[in-house]
Amino acid sequence: MKRLRISRCASQLLAHQPAPRRLSCPCAPALQRHTTPHNHRIQSRFQSTLVIPNELGREELLVEELDGTTDSTSTPQAEQRESPSPLPSAAQRSAKLYALRSRLSLRQGFPLETLARTLVHPSADPDPAFNNASLSILGSNLLGYYTTEHLLCNYPRLPMSVVFAAQFAYIGPKALATIASEWGIEAAAAPGAEVDPGLLQFKRLRSGDSVPEVLRRQVPWNWNVTTTNRILKSDAFGSSSAPPSPHELSGIPVPIEEAAQSFVQALIGALHLHLGSPLVKRFFRDHFLSRHLDLSTLFDFRTPTRDLSRLCAREGFEAPVARLISETGRLSRHPVFVVGVYSGKDKLGEGAGSSLDEARIRAAAAALKGWYLYRPLEVTVPSSTEGALDTSAWKPNMIDCGEVIV
Amino acid sequence: MPLSAIRTVAKPQNGVGAFILQCKKLSFHYCDWAGSSRGMNAFIKSSLPDFAKRNPQIEISVSPRPNRHPVIIGQYINGREKAICVRRLTNEQVRQKAELLRDASGEKNKRVTKPVTSVNESVRGIWSPFHGAKIQI
Repeated sequence: MKRLRISRCASQLLAHQPAPRRLSCPCAPALQRHTTPHNHRIQSRFQSTLVIPNELGREELLVEELDGTTDSTSTPQAEQRESPSPLPSAAQRSAKLYALRSRLSLRQGFPLETLARTLVHPSADPDPAFNNASLSILGSNLLGYYTTEHLLCNYPRLPMSVVFAAQFAYIGPKALATIASEWGIEAAAAPGAEVDPGLLQFKRLRSGDSVPEVLRRQVPWNWNVTTTNRILKSDAFGSSSAPPSPHELSGIPVPIEEAAQSFVQALIGALHLHLGSPLVKRFFRDHFLSRHLDLSTLFDFRTPTRDLSRLCAREGFEAPVARLISETGRLSRHPVFVVGVYSGKDKLGEGAGSSLDEARIRAAAAALKGWYLYRPLEVTVPSSTEGALDTSAWKPNMIDCGEVIV
Repeated sequence: MPLSAIRTVAKPQNGVGAFILQCKKLSFHYCDWAGSSRGMNAFIKSSLPDFAKRNPQIEISVSPRPNRHPVIIGQYINGREKAICVRRLTNEQVRQKAELLRDASGEKNKRVTKPVTSVNESVRGIWSPFHGAKIQI
């Protein structure tokens, strides 16, 4: 990181004002004294004259702030210029950022400047070099990948709609916004250069305003949306229309959920870039997969009895038969029937209800859940072999032929 | 559609995977002149740097509050605040109060009648009158 900054700093100095500013670079005095042509720093300076000057002039600002620790006279000039979000150098002085990094148990090696950048939503700062748009795209893809592989490997028979709902529960927009608030993220009242970089920076919707056009429901990809279409073309949650790209949101006021969500995604992306995928996976396991989700509550059957008989026909089991196991108070106000669904001599499921039909339907639903929620004992997720030369630890996962089609 | 799914959000379990300390910020207010701040001033001079180093998750701010009693205010992730007045307390007692605020969850104090609660189903299951051996009378 440091090397990169120095070369960038030098290039900007050459591109803008060569003579007076060269002194403000930390390596400038040394360069002026020994002008040896073999010095790689000088070469990098000559090479980088082609760099296009930034239209906002903030690269130069960055330079001045970076060496502001040694030369305090340059800071007033820096403050005069407008910047829509806090400068990267302000990150080192922010107690909030430091506390946030420790709260999330991130390493000291994870730079505070990057953490500050993940907190800047494109609506606050349209410059893609300073906002979290690119990081959040990377992060949302990583989150989707890790969640999908966890679900598909651990529950190979899960129906697709339940997979989508489970993804939504773990990494959906609502879940990410909740996670951000549980991490203690506070939002700034309005974005600006003078705001503490530990606050979430985004342009707020004014009260009474409607949600902007970009965030509203858009034209679906396809009017006749099939499950295959959802798997292949839609996002991780099987939604019918595409979510807006983070770059489209620059300068547009957004609700706080949108900004909080982009922060969590950008943090994952930044962790992947700085700390590598093993640590991101650990972070994902600790903060996302550790949340409690009972998958059996996500099912909503319409006609479980019919599904079950189709399933038994497909798998070659005997046709399911519902039998009464026990009952009480048939003629009373609160009758209870316990019904089991049997295929031959095997009991597939059991349910209790206040009428024979209710108990039978509950029993069929329990049998279907028992089938769909099958969990293999040993699972190796695809990402566990990433970058490993030895592939002997890999065990192929079970792939099921899918849910019952009626 | 034979089967649809219900959309929910997974519930947090702080401490199961990662643990997030619920205290977000501690602000220490002191007075230079008044005698009730003597212990607080000693704490700020001697023990606070060490306390801050041991608890990096907490943002710490120190600010004067002239002609008032010293106070420690904790801000929590759930949005609540807790304040403790530390007038006439010694250095050690102030440290104890700071640790009390650090360890608090930010919730209002409640009487705990059931010490163990769980989101998981019981392994044993709920007793049912319809199963098991029939009782002969």
